[in-house]
Amino acid sequence: MNMIQTRNLTKSYGGFTAVSNLNLHVPKGSVYGFVGPNGAGKSTTMKMFLGLTRPSSGAFVIDKMSYPHNRVKILREIGSFIEAPAFYGNLTGEENLDIIRRILKLPKSTVDDALELVDLTPYRKRLARKYSLGMKQRLGLAGALLGRPPILILDEPTNGLDPVGIHEIRMLIRSLPDKFDCTVFVSSHLLSEIELMADHIGVLNHGHLLFEGTLEELKEKASFEGYPDENLENMFLALIEEDNMRRGGVK
Amino acid sequence: MNIFTLTAVEFKKIKRSKILLILIAATLILWFPNILNADLNFDMSDIGISPENSFFIQGFMGMAWFIYPAVMVVATVILVQTERTNHGILKMLALPVSTPLLCLAKFIVLAVAAAAFILFMTAGYYIAAAAAGALNDYSFILAPDYVLPFAGKLYLASLPMVSVFWLIAVCISTPIFSVGAGLISIVPSVLINNTKAWFVYPMGYPFYLVMTEYGEVAENIGKSQMDPIPWIPVAVGITLICLLISCLCFGRAERR
Amino acid sequence: MSFRLECKKIRRTGLAAAFLAGSVIAAALPVINTAARPDTFSSMTGSPAAILSDANLQMISMLNLLLITAGACILYHIEYADNGLQKIQSLPVRESGLFIGKCGILLPFVLMMILFETASLCFCGWRWLDAGKEELIEMLQTLGFTLLLTLPATVTALVIASACRNMWTALGIGVLCVFMATMLSTDNFIASLFPYALPFQILPGMETERVIHYCIAAVCETAAACAAEIIHLKVRRLFA
Repeated sequence: MNMIQTRNLTKSYGGFTAVSNLNLHVPKGSVYGFVGPNGAGKSTTMKMFLGLTRPSSGAFVIDKMSYPHNRVKILREIGSFIEAPAFYGNLTGEENLDIIRRILKLPKSTVDDALELVDLTPYRKRLARKYSLGMKQRLGLAGALLGRPPILILDEPTNGLDPVGIHEIRMLIRSLPDKFDCTVFVSSHLLSEIELMADHIGVLNHGHLLFEGTLEELKEKASFEGYPDENLENMFLALIEEDNMRRGGVK
Repeated sequence: MNIFTLTAVEFKKIKRSKILLILIAATLILWFPNILNADLNFDMSDIGISPENSFFIQGFMGMAWFIYPAVMVVATVILVQTERTNHGILKMLALPVSTPLLCLAKFIVLAVAAAAFILFMTAGYYIAAAAAGALNDYSFILAPDYVLPFAGKLYLASLPMVSVFWLIAVCISTPIFSVGAGLISIVPSVLINNTKAWFVYPMGYPFYLVMTEYGEVAENIGKSQMDPIPWIPVAVGITLICLLISCLCFGRAERR
Repeated sequence: MSFRLECKKIRRTGLAAAFLAGSVIAAALPVINTAARPDTFSSMTGSPAAILSDANLQMISMLNLLLITAGACILYHIEYADNGLQKIQSLPVRESGLFIGKCGILLPFVLMMILFETASLCFCGWRWLDAGKEELIEMLQTLGFTLLLTLPATVTALVIASACRNMWTALGIGVLCVFMATMLSTDNFIASLFPYALPFQILPGMETERVIHYCIAAVCETAAACAAEIIHLKVRRLFA
């Protein structure tokens, strides 16, 4: 069963098409890695799922509910982390989470739980604007994990973290479907990173979906089409390169 | 999600935002010169007003004409900016909350801030009157059953103005321009108050109310009338329209 | 050279649009005011310049001051917001050149506003108060005097904006200064020398001696504000 499914989802701004006829299938209980270079349309797609931007055409279904008439119901099931960290600088990390908790009507203990999950407990009383980039990123993640929602939408969650932090967050995301029985939709511009977390992969370039399937299928496809398959990053680059050539040399 | 929980959340968001500090500072700036110049109130024989009434009216006039609207403009922008500086609004829009309700909850916070300012002003008046009385050996204090209802009326009369400022702050997303537009909208209020159509300009309501009161207590100041018709229906209409538009526009810029 | 750079920097800030809109509003006020009750004004005694400036100049000056304050804040905000100033400081240019460039931007805008307002007042005088050539010349003198007396506030607003890293602090100080200026009594000569109170002084009916004093004061205050900025820049560099 698919938790998230899109049908010809398209978003254009004026003459520029950010996402074009996207058909995604995110299976329930999976970690779905959404890969593509900067500006491929990953964030735009995620924003559409969260109702932060309106699709120009096409539709999507999340847990059998459709946008826009089920917007609030959909959002109740999603924990999200979008783009640059979103928070209130004049509040402490704990207070920031408490605001989200009250809106979601969750018990008080969920805040401690979320802080613990992302290792922010020692800094809970510090003002969010005094957090380092990595801590802000963790705070955003904690906000997404609050109340252990059945669907998680995470936009480049490891941006700005140090190698140890990246490893920890990666492990956390990998373990989420088993721990909380949830579906994770996570984006990155590094295939090498997604490879370590995801079991399903979608590759996006210039708003077009170049590939969708499991990691094994991607490897098979690559070897079938004669890409260097010893290194997935090379394969990814080759995929993108070929697509760019097809578009008339647009990089 | 009901409006009460949301309003409670909104109050939490303005922690450490210095709004209260600004309100208190404005009160001090207003009353301090009035205490020092209190002796001028004895020299009002040509206007025909008692020193204690003059002290009260002069203070509230300064407030209603400029400092109260200006403080409200600043408070409005602070409220909107807490959402925008670190993209807090994006998080809010991705949570299961109705956006118009969120906007309304913020307006309630603003209305409470306005009430707090009127309260500080009234408290400040009594402290200032006591201090000026001690300096000049004269009792400037007016009875609370006169001062408090007047403060209440002033508050109610200012709500349409606050809703216009809220609309400006929601619709103009560049903060400096929304402050500029708000401040500039205060300036013509005196001009419009002099015309018959004073009731169409909410920024002038508080000052008009004080001027009407001035006419009441001073013998030689021209009387102006504050007829409830058409003022009240127009004021209510303006408030509702402003709130409606701001609720519809709230978060639109972030939701492109 | 720094002027051209400054012109480039204000692109897409909306500054020019703001001043244009402000000028139009400020020019519209006297027209609306006079058109709404022409009989009140035509029955008054005194020259058209005196009548019109009595009825409008306070409001116009207040608008001018608020716009100048906001404009100065924007001009320095673009430097501080994304650390543009740091880049300028690391380039081989004098920092005081930046201040002169900012003055070079703000002053033409102020001139434009006052020109709009002059045109509007002259129109009112000609249309409703039968003002002839001499009366219009008096009007020009009145607004010229206002322009001169607005200079100290303009430069002071820039000094404040350059001293405050946070735009809101500068704006808050500016608005408070404008408010204080409206509260100060105009009878007291010393109090009226406050830079933000100067533009509220009206030429018609003023004694010649006092006019000269105000002109000297305006020039001195402008020079003093420039000097304060240079000292401030030196001190800031010393403690940086």
